[in-house]
Amino acid sequence: MSVLSAILTGLVMGLVFGLALEKSRVFEPGVIVGQMQLRNFTMLKVFLSAVATGLVVLAALNGFGLIKLSPKATLYTADIAGGLILGVGITLAGGCPGTVLAQIGAGYRDAWATLLGGLCGALAFGYLEPTLRPWIDGGPGKLTLDHLVGQPFWLVALVFAALIVALLVVLERWRPWQEELGREVDGDTEPSPVAGRQRIAAQH
Amino acid sequence: MMSLRDKAWSPYAAGILIGLLQIPAFLLINTALGASSSYVTVAGNLAALVDPGAVKIDYIAKHLAGAKNWWQVALVVGVALGAFLSSRLSGARRPAMSYVWSRGMGIGSLQQRLPLAFVAGFIMLFGARIADGCTSGHGLSGIAQLSIGSFTAVTAMFAGGIATAMLLRRV
Repeated sequence: MSVLSAILTGLVMGLVFGLALEKSRVFEPGVIVGQMQLRNFTMLKVFLSAVATGLVVLAALNGFGLIKLSPKATLYTADIAGGLILGVGITLAGGCPGTVLAQIGAGYRDAWATLLGGLCGALAFGYLEPTLRPWIDGGPGKLTLDHLVGQPFWLVALVFAALIVALLVVLERWRPWQEELGREVDGDTEPSPVAGRQRIAAQH
Repeated sequence: MMSLRDKAWSPYAAGILIGLLQIPAFLLINTALGASSSYVTVAGNLAALVDPGAVKIDYIAKHLAGAKNWWQVALVVGVALGAFLSSRLSGARRPAMSYVWSRGMGIGSLQQRLPLAFVAGFIMLFGARIADGCTSGHGLSGIAQLSIGSFTAVTAMFAGGIATAMLLRRV
């Protein structure tokens, strides 16, 4: 595919992605910090629904031989250290590298600083990569769950997707999704703005 | 039913829509959904304008050009446009910063929040590039491909995120 068609495809897919992120409210810093404080589960609901759908889609496409999968190599040190650092950043940003763009689109002005910081962080890694590479490398390479259990990808993917759906049913019974969004759909579930302000006043 | 004028959709419906995007990603671009490597493409191209040495680093050089790299840049630009259109259609306007920063961290103004947001973005992308993926590449796409490395990275992301959030005031 030419670069121009790839860019047009990316823009159209991004429009749909951005729409879904905005409507789900998963880009809200209040929702992300709430998830990390284990009191709002909207992020997990969106994330697991997308993963379960992806598993079914890839089980079909791969099972019928239409696509080849391209899982990333497993590098334990890099996955653990990088994941931990990324997690700290996700809480402090109230978002992730993709949803920061949705924050900008929806009007959060601080997200422009997050984006700028992200560009600098990515560039800093680029310059340091030759130095860091020996420390990052080291792992079993491409390693997937279906290989570990010795079953075809489509089967393991469908079973895993079914388990996720079961978990989501339980999660929804425990925490109905509308109740987690709050009046302003930003994850603020204070019963009323007045009560919220009184509580802040009491904390200061 | 669901309308573009709604302020919120069910997280399950929105999640399914996001998951379905793997179909065009794999069939048309021969890749999986991801976001964080686009930061290297944009920052690398900007750096190359002022520092000819930047392109001599293989890691930066391989992110500079090509259909897949620019597809992902277009994807994240599209995310901003899609979120903008969606919020305008529903009227879900957002303030300059989320309530969570004043209540969780005692930040009083946007000016106070900006340096922290910058640092947060820096940490986030530095970590994502070490791990070779973020919530999209490892989270959505890696787990959907049953990659053990992605399970490991996502577990670490939540561990780092939860540990940090527990230091903030519960809001």
